[in-house]
Amino acid sequence: MYRYDEFDHAFVSARVDQFKDQVERRLAGELTEDQFRPLRLMNGVYLQLHAYMLRVAIPYGTLSSRQMRKLAHIARHYDRGYGHFTTRQNLQYNWPALKDMPKVLDELASVEMHALQTSGNCIRNVTADHFAGAAADEVADPRPYAEILRQWSSMHPEFSYLPRKFKIAVTGAERDRAAIQVHDIGLHLKKNATGEIGFAVYVGGGQGRTPMVAKKIRDFLPVEDLLSYTTAIMRVYNLNGRRDNKYKARIKILVHETGTEELTRQVEAEFRVLKETDLKLPQKDVDAIDSYFAPPSLPVRPEGWSELAAARKADHAFSAWVDQNVTPHKNPDYGVVTISLKPIGGIPGDATDAQMDLVADIAEKFSQDEIRVSHEQNLVLPHVAIADLRIVYDLLLTDGLATANAGLITDIIACPGLDYCALANARSIPVAQRISERFGKPERQSDIGELKIKISGCINACGHHHVGHIGILGVEKKGEELYQISLGGSGDEICTIGDITGRGFSSEEIVDAVETIVDRYLEIRTDKEETFLTTYRRVGAAPFKDALYSEAANAA
Amino acid sequence: MSDISEKPHGELWSREGFREDPYITAETLEEAGDAPAIILPLAVWLGLDEEVRNATNRKIGVSVAPGESIDPLLTLLDTIPVIALHFPAFNDGRSYSKAEMLKNQHQFKGELRAVGDVLIDQVAYMLRTGFDTLKVTHAVTLTRLADHNLHDTPVYYQPGRGSHTAPGTYSWRRVPAV
Repeated sequence: MYRYDEFDHAFVSARVDQFKDQVERRLAGELTEDQFRPLRLMNGVYLQLHAYMLRVAIPYGTLSSRQMRKLAHIARHYDRGYGHFTTRQNLQYNWPALKDMPKVLDELASVEMHALQTSGNCIRNVTADHFAGAAADEVADPRPYAEILRQWSSMHPEFSYLPRKFKIAVTGAERDRAAIQVHDIGLHLKKNATGEIGFAVYVGGGQGRTPMVAKKIRDFLPVEDLLSYTTAIMRVYNLNGRRDNKYKARIKILVHETGTEELTRQVEAEFRVLKETDLKLPQKDVDAIDSYFAPPSLPVRPEGWSELAAARKADHAFSAWVDQNVTPHKNPDYGVVTISLKPIGGIPGDATDAQMDLVADIAEKFSQDEIRVSHEQNLVLPHVAIADLRIVYDLLLTDGLATANAGLITDIIACPGLDYCALANARSIPVAQRISERFGKPERQSDIGELKIKISGCINACGHHHVGHIGILGVEKKGEELYQISLGGSGDEICTIGDITGRGFSSEEIVDAVETIVDRYLEIRTDKEETFLTTYRRVGAAPFKDALYSEAANAA
Repeated sequence: MSDISEKPHGELWSREGFREDPYITAETLEEAGDAPAIILPLAVWLGLDEEVRNATNRKIGVSVAPGESIDPLLTLLDTIPVIALHFPAFNDGRSYSKAEMLKNQHQFKGELRAVGDVLIDQVAYMLRTGFDTLKVTHAVTLTRLADHNLHDTPVYYQPGRGSHTAPGTYSWRRVPAV
């Protein structure tokens, strides 16, 4: 993985020193909260409902064991013993004291981490496929390009005061695990007919109150043009994006109002001017960054397969976990392990300091010292030998980290909601917990199969409800929390925004409503192989609306 | 370095320090009277007779609001002594892109000036995108600039004015030239 050099260290420590000075001035009363606000936001410090919150960047979701141990240490010493992994592959601490923030940033800098650009109207943490560098279906590792973009976007003088925040995601496989089509820029790394690497470029996707699927504006962009083309997009957006209304300020609205064809023309015109400038990427620099992400040399471990067969036969729970949480690796002797942070009835994405330490230990011994954070709020061990799956499972089991539900109905994404967030209208976490309990039985989950439930506590859609197979949006109506359901959303390569079913459900009704949808699906699927999403795409919303609303009418 | 001023004599700042602003800002040419150096709004400036605009006995610069396009100026850049790009609020970043385009793409040789809500945290960005001078009114910013404290970083991850390539590292990295 990428390691800071002197240049990076000099940059981050200068930023930490600046922030120390600003915090001291705030604590001394020299800065008002209003004056302090833009300064703290640049360092990832938010003011939440109850306390300041610190959002730590985990670039493209990649962590070493040493970094994970530091995150555990910070949780233990500066917070209440836990952290929250987010849908942007970041980590949030909910309770650190303002006076400790500079110390926390120092601690992060000591392991080559920071909280820069995790808020504000700038280019945010660049995300990538959490299986990057490991998945069997990958064309090329997207992380070197995400790292180049991370560096280039750090304190960019032209693009630090954009109309609104800006999110870039990169994937390197046909199967889109990074939800690139709901990002401001989505980059799909692929090979052209002659075998060269380049990007399909998508622009203007996003969720929030106006969800939109991104438009492809380039089918193949050579790697050398990555920064010049991105600059062209950013410049067109910075100059023309709306600044009169923050809800219309994202690039998706500019793309929509300008039209894809005209916007593409503007970007291409700007790109022609920028193409032969200092922004052109020399192959040697790409290679140098690429070398940080060289695949680990994995020992040959063919014995794993026979051991695995025996272990699975002996332990049904282990076998279910392998089925659900282990994904094929490039190397057939290895697997990619998803560590679910969705224990039945738990808080999606939360991990205690002890759990973080445990994951760090396991990764060090059994996963080449590497950990990933997924946008689905789980952790990933990217390089585990099939022969080690049993011991890894046993270790995860010791602290509640072996829930066999990756991709199933209880693997729920939820935003922090009204329990923490100053913007929320409704609680998300308790709804997620109750759904998880309702469907928690392993046999039931397994029978239902792949089903992604995503819950947001307000229209800003941090819980990605628009791309949930079942999406739940919490709203406030006459002082009551009300939950609106949408169906058929998907954030993968066939990206769709979910359709709203109709009137919302109360907090008491919402779990029953989800169950009604699931039961109807089970009745009408052609067989167990037909997933919820496939069924929905075949039959549409009508059967589900019937079930939801006629049943409610019957009950009344 | 002899012309660096230790105290603000005026509010016009550049890397060399503070100096008096020779320009006055006016809404119309009439309003400016016989002032020798004037900055006019874009629409008014474009409406001037070419002879008036190019008169050698006084300098007439142009100010551009964030929502206004610089395109009409591009063929006239050689004749413009100063372009003032406006920041009505610190978080309106459109003028950074215009600065970059004027100085880097169109080689504007005149003075490029930032006016409006110019705060210390934006100064380094302004210099790097091509601004020559900043018209400063904010008290803390005046003090910090007088102390030569630019809130800058020792290294940059992008090409930009006032920097040179950082030898032995990646093509996009720079170090300050001063």
